[in-house]
Amino acid sequence: TSGSLGLYFPQSEYSESVYVGQPAGTPILQIHSMLETETEQAHYYLCWRNKQQRSYIPWFHLDETTGTLYLNKTLEWSDFGSLYRGAAQALRKLSLKAMAVPWPFREATCMRQPTVEISITFINATVPPCGQIALEKLCFPDRDSNPHIQENRLPGPLRQLRRLSRVSLCPDYNISYGVEAESPVPFVVNDTTSELMVKASVDREEKEVYRLEIVCRVQTEDKFHELFVPLHVNIYDEDDNPPYVNGTDTQEVVVEFIRNEGAIFGNLSVYDRDTTPIFPKDQSQNKFVGNLMTNDSWIKESFTIQHTFREEKAIFGNIRGTVHEYKLILSKNMSVTENRTFQLDYLVNDTTFPGPDGTVMLHFNVTILPVPIRFSNSTYVYTVNRRSTAYAQTGKICVDNCLKFQGIDIGYQLAIVEKNVSASVQSCYAAVGVARSLTNMSGVLFVNDTDPLRRPECTELQYLVIAQEQQKQLQAKTQLIIVFEGELDKGDVEEKHFLSCAERRQRKECEVFRGLGTPSGKCQWRQGTEKGISRNYSTCSPDLRTCPDGVCDVIESKDMSICPQDCTSEPIIGGHERGLMLGIKAGYGTCYCFSEKCYCEKDDAEEAICDDMCKTIIATAV
Amino acid sequence: GKDERVKVQGRGCLLKEIHLNVTDLGLGYRTKEELIFRYCSGPCHDAETNYDKILNNLTHNKKLDKDTPSRTCCRPIAFDDDLSFLDDNLEYHTLKKHSARKCACV
Repeated sequence: TSGSLGLYFPQSEYSESVYVGQPAGTPILQIHSMLETETEQAHYYLCWRNKQQRSYIPWFHLDETTGTLYLNKTLEWSDFGSLYRGAAQALRKLSLKAMAVPWPFREATCMRQPTVEISITFINATVPPCGQIALEKLCFPDRDSNPHIQENRLPGPLRQLRRLSRVSLCPDYNISYGVEAESPVPFVVNDTTSELMVKASVDREEKEVYRLEIVCRVQTEDKFHELFVPLHVNIYDEDDNPPYVNGTDTQEVVVEFIRNEGAIFGNLSVYDRDTTPIFPKDQSQNKFVGNLMTNDSWIKESFTIQHTFREEKAIFGNIRGTVHEYKLILSKNMSVTENRTFQLDYLVNDTTFPGPDGTVMLHFNVTILPVPIRFSNSTYVYTVNRRSTAYAQTGKICVDNCLKFQGIDIGYQLAIVEKNVSASVQSCYAAVGVARSLTNMSGVLFVNDTDPLRRPECTELQYLVIAQEQQKQLQAKTQLIIVFEGELDKGDVEEKHFLSCAERRQRKECEVFRGLGTPSGKCQWRQGTEKGISRNYSTCSPDLRTCPDGVCDVIESKDMSICPQDCTSEPIIGGHERGLMLGIKAGYGTCYCFSEKCYCEKDDAEEAICDDMCKTIIATAV
Repeated sequence: GKDERVKVQGRGCLLKEIHLNVTDLGLGYRTKEELIFRYCSGPCHDAETNYDKILNNLTHNKKLDKDTPSRTCCRPIAFDDDLSFLDDNLEYHTLKKHSARKCACV
């Protein structure tokens, strides 16, 4: 690998505390930077950024070759006072910055160099005597941070275990360190220097964290002590694994009924055992770049590749890695007449992988089938009850596979087959209309005009259904026969304006009411059985197949009185849950509406009825 | 002044409050949350006009058949802020215009 990273600090911060009276020349701590190549030699320098720091930086000296920080002067009481800080406290924090470079350096500016923070706590007191220092404080720092090392780098010293500023306080003690772990680890302690050493270069794809125990052995005048602290060494990643496919690099794609812009086809995965950072955004490590390998401009305009990636652990043997997913996306609505087959190649390049195998070729075998616009149903026959009211839904028409269509727009029209008929017969045909469903490409037939239903000359109507595909204007035709059936009641004859079924609050008055949109001429009652707020609330509807079903369909949206339960946009009074966009999702007791204003409430009479009548109904139903 | 006269009208019609559980409202919600419900209550005799007196007399003398027109009554003229609560299924509900803020004889 090319040496681009250079020296790096395996720790982001060092900290130690100093006391008044500690003499010049006292070592405080030692910093380490890890090397990139054998020939390098780290040089350490203190650097400063502001005036405040300039006052105390001369108190310290950083050894250029060892990285050991020493006191440059004996600390006085007045030194503590000289540090400007607002409140009178017993502690002052001195922050220093050090840098490491692989060559001697004159100006310590900390610009564009790896730097590390050193935080020194100045305590306004003298050093405690040896007897008053707990052994832990002698062995280990007050606060510690876990170090990290880069994979595939040179071995070398990682950190000074000895607490240098405390060593001179108990000169009679013999202190040594060791490292322990459950399984063999590439870490040892250098007994002469007390440094924790990395023995060999490590591989993140083998182990991401080494969990060590640092043991401190203290021989006092009369006793031998062992103290333990845990230390986790994190292994940082670099792009040292090529991308690969697991199994297939080829995907068959068939474009047929789903042809809309944004439709997703196929899914090919590329694996990479390296991690991919998502922050910061401009990070380029393990970055994948893809290329469509085609010169065909039509393919380039019609398809794009969507690339997403995620971190996975389980499939990489419990070590974090990256899974990249490539999907084929339609970038425009595909015409129904399009009929093609081609292979689309996509080159994936792991741009930061240093070796020659950093690419993977993916293949999408694409077949675009044409979609014929036709009716295989040669004749639709629907019956309409003479007593049905306006907007009653009478049936559906659908070109072949219309329910599967996406991105194919079909419009429906009704035409009269026989044109040479009398005006009064011609007016019969106003009885039925067609509207395109809001959710799919089918057409919904509905009662448009109730006058012809009462006229004797209109008994059977023959229509021509014309379905037209909107992009290429392709047409398909079929026959529709509407048969009127049933007898009229005397009372029905003169009605023209129907009221809403939803206004009826009780079963008895609902089931005799001629409301708008009823195919049988009578409203239908739905009896809720659950207690509390329920989706199955009691209500009066023109047609329980379509209302309330939680969808304000194309016919219902023509007049708010047909099914306000599905279509209301006004606030609902009483216990309820609103539908996502419109209507009532769930209601308490009975929901009823006056025009668009809906109410849900428990009818006191309801429960009284259920004591005798409804219990027998439930009993017989079971 | 003018303010004085407004105050005198409907003096008995007052805003009262009661501490309730949301379930007490009888709207079907299942929750343990509570609320302060404010309502309007009290007589409205002193806000009555000649119109009300005439209606009263006509009803009393049975001149209006079965018809009984509404009389002045103590009602909210402004409502409290919306109340939101979480039900037992961890769904949110918001009650609007559920509690009175200001009352008057109308």
